[in-house]
Amino acid sequence: MKVQYSYLKNYLSTDLSQAKLADVFTKVGFECESDGSIIDFDITPNRGDVLSLRGLQREFQAQQSKAFKDKLYYEKLTFKKDKTIINTIDKSGCGNYQLMLVRGLHSVKELDKKKRNFLIAAGVPLIHPLVDLGNYVMLEMGTPMHVFDLDHLELPLNIAFPASKKNSFQAIGGDTKIVESASLTIQDQNGIQAIAGIIGGHETSVSKSTKSVAVEAAFFNPAKIANQARKYGLATDASHRFERGVDPALQQKALARFLFLLKEIARYDLIDCYEGSSVKLKPTAISLNVERFNNFSGLSLSAKKIKLFLETLGFTSILTKTDHLKFQVPSYRFDMELEEDLYEEILRCYGYDNIPINPPKSGPVAKVTDHSASEKLKGGLVFGGFQELMHMPFVSTETFNALNSNDWSPAELSNPINENEPLMRGSLFGSLFSAINLNVKKGYSAIKFFEHGNVFHKIKNDFAQESHISGLIYFHESQKTWSDKSFQYDFYSLKAEVLKLLETLRVKSIQLVPNSSATIFTANAMDIFVGKKKIGMLGEINPTSTQKLIKNPAFGFEIYPEKISTKSSALKLKPVSKFPSSSRDLNILINQSYSYAQIETVLLNSKIKFLHSLALANTFEGKGIPDGSISMTLRFMFQSPVKSLKESEINASMDNAFHLLNKALKAKIRS
Amino acid sequence: MQIPQDLIDTAKLKLKSVQSEAEFFQLRSQYLGKKSFVISSFTELKSLDPDSKVSAAKELNILKSKLSHLFEVALEGMQAKTDVSLLDTTLPADPYFVGAEHPIAEISQRVIHYFSPLNYQVFSGNEIETDFFNFEALNFPENHPARQMHDTFYLNAGKKSEYLLRTHTSNSQIHAMLREPLPLYMLSPGRVYRCDSDTTHLPMFTQIEGLVVDEDVSFGDLKGIIINFLEYFFNEKMEVRFRPSYFPFTEPSAEVDIKFGNNGWLEVLGCGMVHPNVLKGCNIDTQRYRGFAFGMGIERLAMLYYGVDDIRDFYSSNLDFLNQFSS
Repeated sequence: MKVQYSYLKNYLSTDLSQAKLADVFTKVGFECESDGSIIDFDITPNRGDVLSLRGLQREFQAQQSKAFKDKLYYEKLTFKKDKTIINTIDKSGCGNYQLMLVRGLHSVKELDKKKRNFLIAAGVPLIHPLVDLGNYVMLEMGTPMHVFDLDHLELPLNIAFPASKKNSFQAIGGDTKIVESASLTIQDQNGIQAIAGIIGGHETSVSKSTKSVAVEAAFFNPAKIANQARKYGLATDASHRFERGVDPALQQKALARFLFLLKEIARYDLIDCYEGSSVKLKPTAISLNVERFNNFSGLSLSAKKIKLFLETLGFTSILTKTDHLKFQVPSYRFDMELEEDLYEEILRCYGYDNIPINPPKSGPVAKVTDHSASEKLKGGLVFGGFQELMHMPFVSTETFNALNSNDWSPAELSNPINENEPLMRGSLFGSLFSAINLNVKKGYSAIKFFEHGNVFHKIKNDFAQESHISGLIYFHESQKTWSDKSFQYDFYSLKAEVLKLLETLRVKSIQLVPNSSATIFTANAMDIFVGKKKIGMLGEINPTSTQKLIKNPAFGFEIYPEKISTKSSALKLKPVSKFPSSSRDLNILINQSYSYAQIETVLLNSKIKFLHSLALANTFEGKGIPDGSISMTLRFMFQSPVKSLKESEINASMDNAFHLLNKALKAKIRS
Repeated sequence: MQIPQDLIDTAKLKLKSVQSEAEFFQLRSQYLGKKSFVISSFTELKSLDPDSKVSAAKELNILKSKLSHLFEVALEGMQAKTDVSLLDTTLPADPYFVGAEHPIAEISQRVIHYFSPLNYQVFSGNEIETDFFNFEALNFPENHPARQMHDTFYLNAGKKSEYLLRTHTSNSQIHAMLREPLPLYMLSPGRVYRCDSDTTHLPMFTQIEGLVVDEDVSFGDLKGIIINFLEYFFNEKMEVRFRPSYFPFTEPSAEVDIKFGNNGWLEVLGCGMVHPNVLKGCNIDTQRYRGFAFGMGIERLAMLYYGVDDIRDFYSSNLDFLNQFSS
């Protein structure tokens, strides 16, 4: 809510500077921003009662421990009940409805300059002197008013929800709205003339030729107004106030104020005031226990002090019994229900900054929480030279499909911020590809990125969220140093990177299994398993999945940290051998259709005596090697925990190894 | 016979300042050559009586072997140095990658590091959430204007129940209160979404919220931990201001401002005492337990901490920006 400082200053009869005044309000919960000579109040949705000069004045005076004192002038009015003017009122939607009929208007002038400037500063456009006056009274007292052209109104009025579901209605300004049956309306004998508390009709709006008006002041039930304006794409000063609650005790007074000010700008022949039957709102009463309040806040205020604070804010004390107090809530406060609501009011008056500061308390013994695997993995990646990135999770349908390895159904937004990106990501790679593309354009030629975040998909009527850590390595085919040393990154570098990461974290029994059908990768890819659980993938990036963002070879991996157990089982240590080890090489020829994994399986699953470890020392194909075969040099390391091995024992194991390879994979000795 | 006590020490000292092999050999003959003290002393032994002859000979032999060893080692070291081909060690290193955490992740960890030793458990929670956990259980009644403070993304779901992208991480607090035993001390970090985008707002940002539900917690406790946290975070004594505000899930509610750098008051977090409706909804006895909660935007803290002007930089994947966090 925007208020001209000079106007407010006069209204509050204060000498405070603009900054000081803004500070006073900010400190009690109404954050102020200054825009030139205007103070913009951020009034939270619970405090509709402060959306007026009257409301600001009440808060300001409470801060000076003074009760509110009304200093406005009013005409005296009497209100009659007459079914030919106001016929029926839907009591669920309308608490009271007052109408002031002014006939024979003439010599209507504009509002004085001060009031006009005040309205303009508040962002309320000047429309017609009578409408402007209604708006002025609204800003002064918080009570929205509507002015109908009486000559276009076919009385009596009915305040009712429309009977049919869809009703065409032409609003002020000429737009046609389809009014739903959930919207309270003001109807005359010709139909809907206004959507209650939101907007009036074009037909009955005032114009230069208007001679008689019906001025409406009403209390509409906030629950029935809430969200209605949005449905019509409208947000008016009136609907903003009605949604938050307008003081139901103030309508007749507002009309009296309107008339008082009308006399300054117009002449008229006749005034009649009518009231529709109204619902008596039962005032809310809230009990307060002084001891409980003091425990809650950390203060030790007396009952007397508490009463004083609440009374200056307009609460009425209705019971005082040592520690037990009871207060009646003023009609304009719609945010008061519980004892804690009173606590806030007391603390606001006392000043949050005056509440004592206690030293931090700690909780009971903490449990190990779930995200330690991801934190460790991330630490490992950072140490391995990866830069972490973060991205928005919104993707296009094309990107989702290009990376959809698991045949997932996408999670789709019904109101995306960018209509080209309506889906939640199903993979982190999309943004990583864009990131590579962006940075290659900037001149970076060797890049290691990773991202940690959730990916999403839809399962039947529910949604699934999975945590991923995905990494991408981009290298120009070879990087040369000043000394002509060349650095290459290939599939096996990637494998080393991932194994190093997982083994450093002591992930046990890692198995890499070829998977040539993953969408994101070329045929050179592997699934990463721990036991039977798939914990990730790695491979050469499929250029088509990057949607032309990456042209040179790139390598990537994704790991699912939630699938990695971080429960540290006690390490089982083996005794360290004190005896020497010996290594032997075996040169074999083997058909290329066999994979190295098969050789490993044959040798490591056969319990070859004294075999400590196995490595691949060399491979060779080409000259001297038969077509379709490959030569491999396998390096065996033998060691016993209890003795030095004899030459004959080692030879026996080597013979056994060759025999196994020959039998299972038709391996031959390469001569 | 008088044997100088500091012979070895002075030899060591002189060896240190030797610049060339010639100097080295000159020094060695000075200590171990024919005219040296040790060698020439052996000839003097003859003139001594048998008893002192034996003890002096023993002493001289020890001295000689110590000196020989000293010079042998020194010579080896000198030769090892001159045998290698000399490098320009100032030439650049081989290419290497320097990794870094994303500043938002780093700041999140900094916050968690304060609360972890105070036994706050961490729950990350779901980003796709139902209306119940994001709004209803947090005392946002349907159609209430408070919901308009959160521009919400909704998902196309098959059934009526409304799924949305959480607008705050408070949803994790509801899950935890329904599941975990009391007292509860927890943090809920994670990403949140608002359907809003301009130079100061992003449709996705990062929050960390804290929640304590315990007997006898007071507004004074809340103030204490917030002020202490902020001083830890910014590593300086701070002017901190609490001012009344409104959140549906806390009553009373407060915004917290700090004075940092040369700016005026800067809003850094929101907090309050947990609204009784929220506790009751999670089957918590409000006569016995009370709670406080607080929440902060990590991007905002990171912008203040690092002096970043444009929030969009964090999600730009621009290495020119991000590389600054690794050096």
